[in-house]
Amino acid sequence: MQMDVDTLIRVAAFTGGGIAMGFGAIGAAIGEGYTAAQANVAVSRNPSLSGDLFKNMLVGQAVAESASIFALVIAILLLFLDVPGHSKLTAAALFGAGLCIGFGAIGSGIGSGFPGGQCCMGIARQPAVVSKMTTNMLIGSAVCQTPAIFSMVVALMLLFMDFSKLPLFPTWAALIGAGVSTGLAAIGSGYGGGLAAGASCEGLARQPEAGSNLTTTMLVGQAVAQTPSIFGLLISFILIFKTFPESTSLSAAMALLSAGICMGFGGIGPGIGNGMAAEGAVRWVARNIKSAGELMRIMLVGQAVSQSTSIYAMVISLVLIFVL
Amino acid sequence: MEDLGKIHQLIIHLGGYDITLNLEVILMTWIVIGMLTLFGYLATRRAGLVPRQFQVLGEIFVGVFFKITEDALDKERAEKYGPLVVALFMFLMLSNWLGIIPHLEEPTKDLNTPFALGIMGFVIAHYAGIRSKGFKAYINEYFQPMFFMAPLNIIGELSKIVSISFRLFGNIMGGAIIILVVSHLTYSIVLPPLLNAFFGLFVGTIQAFVFTMLTVVYISVQVK
Repeated sequence: MQMDVDTLIRVAAFTGGGIAMGFGAIGAAIGEGYTAAQANVAVSRNPSLSGDLFKNMLVGQAVAESASIFALVIAILLLFLDVPGHSKLTAAALFGAGLCIGFGAIGSGIGSGFPGGQCCMGIARQPAVVSKMTTNMLIGSAVCQTPAIFSMVVALMLLFMDFSKLPLFPTWAALIGAGVSTGLAAIGSGYGGGLAAGASCEGLARQPEAGSNLTTTMLVGQAVAQTPSIFGLLISFILIFKTFPESTSLSAAMALLSAGICMGFGGIGPGIGNGMAAEGAVRWVARNIKSAGELMRIMLVGQAVSQSTSIYAMVISLVLIFVL
Repeated sequence: MEDLGKIHQLIIHLGGYDITLNLEVILMTWIVIGMLTLFGYLATRRAGLVPRQFQVLGEIFVGVFFKITEDALDKERAEKYGPLVVALFMFLMLSNWLGIIPHLEEPTKDLNTPFALGIMGFVIAHYAGIRSKGFKAYINEYFQPMFFMAPLNIIGELSKIVSISFRLFGNIMGGAIIILVVSHLTYSIVLPPLLNAFFGLFVGTIQAFVFTMLTVVYISVQVK
């Protein structure tokens, strides 16, 4: 079957758009379901607050939804945009963009459901701090979206940058690898950041005086949990901006594609693990506010150890890009 | 749309070397420095027991971040590192906010600024570590838990610079790219200002705080 360039680009755009919205729909739906479930529990515990709880549930769900809205935006752009540059590389870039935001929206969608749910539970438990609770939830779930925003940025770069002057082999693999790297690495970080944000909402209800300590610990924990997705972003940037010498051998292309896959999968576990460490620290800051500094230090050291596997993945990716 | 991922550079050839200057970033950084200096002058001019507007703002900054530094380190070290922490936060926050003014750009949008600040924090943290533990104990930490873990420990330490600087850079540049694309695709007067408020004011403040906090915490991990 012979295909001209325009057909190939459209094939890639349609496939990419389908993947973007298909995968992008997974996470936010789970997160929103969790929020709704916790809101139901909260209403049955404290029915007099049903108005506040309903409002907070909707706000939490709206933030959780934004990850899949990013995916929707990219999918629509893929379907209707007249892209710059017409070469076979454009097709690879469009496919990579779809993969990137599709995978990247999963983690943040699930993750930002946790603060929403825990916020509803917390309001039922401690109605006096409703506004403090909502603010804390909004900050937590907004920071949760960062990995999805990274994915969206890489997807937009793949969509709008003009690659047509670069050699087709092996740049096509670099562009798809760039999408996979940020997309997959964002899953763990988004989920992990959500765990920390949820624990901080729970802790605020338990111990409202610990508010500022809780927010600080949550932000630091989430920031460190995002490190794997930042490594993914770094590998993507190298793959996008570095010019690779032309080579028709399959091994050169495979090395670049594998660099993206390696960093992408390697970032999932450390992101979730770091999130668990942050969740533990934040939860116990609320119970033992005097040791907040000590808890944060232990959390950071623990996260650094759990992060080492993502550093191994980054080292292998860099070797694949620069050495092989 | 063409300026997506492009940087305006002045390249000077000097005796076989190329000196690259990112003029826009330098100019924007000086604007931030000028604004902060002006703020400092206004806040301390006619300082009194009953504070005026700018003095209140300055006292809030100093008070909040001094407390945070004191919690993470201790009173004696807080007096030493507190001014740095307050200055770092104010510089970063103003830098991240600068992009909401038309024709101005965030200095933090260029990787060089966050990277330089990341290296600064890294060097200060390790200097503080050597000062408090002594050189031998400091070196010994790299050979924990086993001596052959040393290369990985060193890579792990260095990757902290990458993560802290790329976190700030990625967030600010990501926001700028999203605003650029949205303003290019739509003719809306509501959407871009809203996005500016979210990415510039909200995300900018949070990321400035996260960067500052991480610098403090890195110092505290090294010291204790």
